[in-house]
Amino acid sequence: MNVLIVDDSTTMRKILINALKSVGITDIDEACDGQQAVDATLAKQYSVVLMDWNMPNMLGIDALKRIRLAGNQVPVIMVTTEAEKGRVIEALKAGANNYVIKPFKPEAIIAKIQEVTGAAK
Amino acid sequence: MKVEYINPFVEGVNNLFTTMLDCEAKRGNVGVVQDNDPPTQSIVAIIGLSGSVRGCVTMVFPARTAMHVAHRLLGSTIDKLDQDVMDAMAEMVNVVAGAAKAKLNEDENSPAQLSLPTVILGRDYRIQHPSWSVWLDIPFDSPLGPFNLCVSIETDHSRKGVA
Repeated sequence: MNVLIVDDSTTMRKILINALKSVGITDIDEACDGQQAVDATLAKQYSVVLMDWNMPNMLGIDALKRIRLAGNQVPVIMVTTEAEKGRVIEALKAGANNYVIKPFKPEAIIAKIQEVTGAAK
Repeated sequence: MKVEYINPFVEGVNNLFTTMLDCEAKRGNVGVVQDNDPPTQSIVAIIGLSGSVRGCVTMVFPARTAMHVAHRLLGSTIDKLDQDVMDAMAEMVNVVAGAAKAKLNEDENSPAQLSLPTVILGRDYRIQHPSWSVWLDIPFDSPLGPFNLCVSIETDHSRKGVA
């Protein structure tokens, strides 16, 4: 399994990397904004993308829309502090496969990844 | 500023500690930040809110607390106040304010926005608040050390005098 982590916070990327490595996922790429995420998904097929919402250059929600417009159905999990119901609905309508609100327990991220990829626990 | 407006921020701190730091933060009594409070010798993480909820939130960490928190968050050895610690403190206030914003926004049509977090590191400086603002100070204690949460906000409801 290969995972793309998209977050402008180096701290959050490290937290997510630690969570993934704790269950043996080591094929991990990082992107710092939405544009980098779009570029990365055009260049490589990922098992899942973990996408922040608020980032410079391009928001995560806009990156998600561009990824879907390009016909890429890679599972995308929004991982964000945006907890308002309207935000969750907006993301799901844009094609997000799941939604995790920060703060989160590392095991919650792993469970969501397993859910959207169909990976065995 | 109504004291109940701090509750979403306190809940944000509690939630952050129980989920990502695997411990509990115990809240102390709420006070008001005074202009004559002694100069700070800590790490201060600041974030602003704008829109229907306006104001500022700061989390003030003694150096040892900041290093313990960063170690717990990142799982790496932290032996000095480096960029990793500063980034971790910025993320702390970002997550706490983000969680609170969602609760304060529940009845609003124009959601509040968060600014980018800023971190101050240094000694013998004083944060001077505008005279018209009220800053509430909530001390916390935790297995990772003490810290303070300071909040000054107003909402469209508060400006209209609606509870």
